[in-house]
Amino acid sequence: MTTTEKKLTGASLLFNVLEQHGVEHVFGYPGGAIMPIYDALYDSGVEHFLCRHEQGAAFSAVGYARASGKVGVCLATSGPGATNLITGLADALADSIPVVAITGQVATAAMGSDAFQEIDIFGLSLACTKHSFQVTNIDDLADVLHQAFAIALEGRQGPVLVDIPKDIQIAAVNGSVDDLVNLQNKVKLPPANVGNALALLNQAKKPILYVGGGVGMANAIDELRDFAKITGLPCVSTLKGLGAIDPEDKYYMGMLGMHGTKASNLAVQECDLLIAVGARFDDRVTGKLNEFAPNAKVIHFDIDTAEINKRRVADASILGDLKVNLPALAIPLSIEPWKAFCLQMNADYAWDYNHPGETIFAPAVLKEISDKMPKNSCVTTDVGQHQMWAAQHMVFDDPSNFLTSAGMGTMGFGIPAAVGAQVSRPTNCIIAISGDGSFMMNVQELSTIKRFQLPVKIVLIDNAKLGMVRQWQDLFFNGRLSETDLADNPDFIMLANAFDIKAQMITKKSEVSAAIEEMLEHDGPYLLQVKIDAQDNVWPLVPPNTANDKMMEST
Amino acid sequence: MNNYQLMISVDDKQVVLERILQVTRYRGFLINGMNAKVNTGTKIGTIELMVSSERPIELLVDQINKLIDIKEVKVDHTAMQ
Repeated sequence: MTTTEKKLTGASLLFNVLEQHGVEHVFGYPGGAIMPIYDALYDSGVEHFLCRHEQGAAFSAVGYARASGKVGVCLATSGPGATNLITGLADALADSIPVVAITGQVATAAMGSDAFQEIDIFGLSLACTKHSFQVTNIDDLADVLHQAFAIALEGRQGPVLVDIPKDIQIAAVNGSVDDLVNLQNKVKLPPANVGNALALLNQAKKPILYVGGGVGMANAIDELRDFAKITGLPCVSTLKGLGAIDPEDKYYMGMLGMHGTKASNLAVQECDLLIAVGARFDDRVTGKLNEFAPNAKVIHFDIDTAEINKRRVADASILGDLKVNLPALAIPLSIEPWKAFCLQMNADYAWDYNHPGETIFAPAVLKEISDKMPKNSCVTTDVGQHQMWAAQHMVFDDPSNFLTSAGMGTMGFGIPAAVGAQVSRPTNCIIAISGDGSFMMNVQELSTIKRFQLPVKIVLIDNAKLGMVRQWQDLFFNGRLSETDLADNPDFIMLANAFDIKAQMITKKSEVSAAIEEMLEHDGPYLLQVKIDAQDNVWPLVPPNTANDKMMEST
Repeated sequence: MNNYQLMISVDDKQVVLERILQVTRYRGFLINGMNAKVNTGTKIGTIELMVSSERPIELLVDQINKLIDIKEVKVDHTAMQ
């Protein structure tokens, strides 16, 4: 080695391993304990996207992973940098998203001394990651990083955190970097026995397919659609499952659950066999659990053993890869009267977009955006009324085209997730649907949009309220409107303009079509502020701890 | 309240005991007693966990089994008599 040659350090090894795993883009924010890694970044081939808050970096990594099917990677420094990642990691855990988070840590000699910007992120990670590591020996670093990627992707996917003390980052690597060998998938399940499930399927007179986010995560969309087509099953989707079922399937009844369609909820309550595919009987899906699909037997397909019998006992469980297991049950069924009944319900309870007056009707706006957006557009949402309206009234042909914080329900998700989606799919139209409450939760990421000139379109559904909480206060808390008024919101047009984002506000129905077209045709980022009536509610609504057939409807 | 005894075999990796205790608490089980030891030769740890809950033990067994460093989880039915 000559004196000018730089010896490989832990920090540069990190980027070598990232490149071995095909990582091209990372999201992060530098700070003291991760400076050697940011120094190594300077020489690496990995492109870094500076976010303006570590939570933004974590959500951008989530959006990147969900939009592209690759592992999302985020970086943060120790202490507050690391704790700011936690909400994003919790979100990724709840929605089973493969993310690798790298945190800097104070040097090993200082650990446990309450050093500056020291926090036990390793301990904090236990409840919000699938797995985590703290590297205390440079010889372990490469193996740990490889394991992090393997664990993020194997079985039920999820976030993995790797905490790297500063002295490990600057330590010299002993030997050379090994070639990447095929990662061993630890998740091994016995071949599924489908005999019992086949018998249940053959006996059922009113079966229904209940599709969750696991279908997209398993990359089993084609297999699911073939299964639905061959069996002819009526089908419903969870929030995270939206896009998996062929939107042209006439037996598709929409989303089920708290804000599900009337047709889907009534059909599920009526069915005699529920075929759950990559779904977990979440409380927002089932309503009152012991009255959910009360006459149904259950076939449960999943990759995660712990989901079987967790909330609803399965009469038949089929563990493993959906791509392999779904075709094993794809048989034609004789259920014509039931199918006719479901079709009739679809017709009887179709959405009604008639809305009197000049005030803008958010469901109609979202439907029009859905109709006009280019093919392969990717929509992200924040959390609240606008999220449910988007789920109800927009149509998606792939789960990777609808990114929403489903399990964790994290306000502030939409804008940074759109950043990640746009980085991963630079040629696609990325539309963030937000609300005036959620938008302000990660508003600093407008700066990331500006910095990288990302042409993200933002639709801000503005009722100057925390609308969903206001709706619940009106319905279930005697109209006592506690801390849900946001009349003092900033001027959103001026705010967008401050980040060089073109913006327009509309307040009347007559302005909607032209505004949508202008937004979609605009080359760069755009914010469309849509003022709606503060009293508008999301319907239908199944009240909490109520059976799904007892939904409240528009009055 | 049902009492259960678990025998858990683990790879002796970082914070594996903390992970088991965290999952046990979060999934609704009270810890009534515990023995833990590591065979430094094989680097395999053995943890006996006495827990109680209204919930079926299978829920906890499945969740502990999901942890990356777990080799095996057994319910010791004889200990529950």
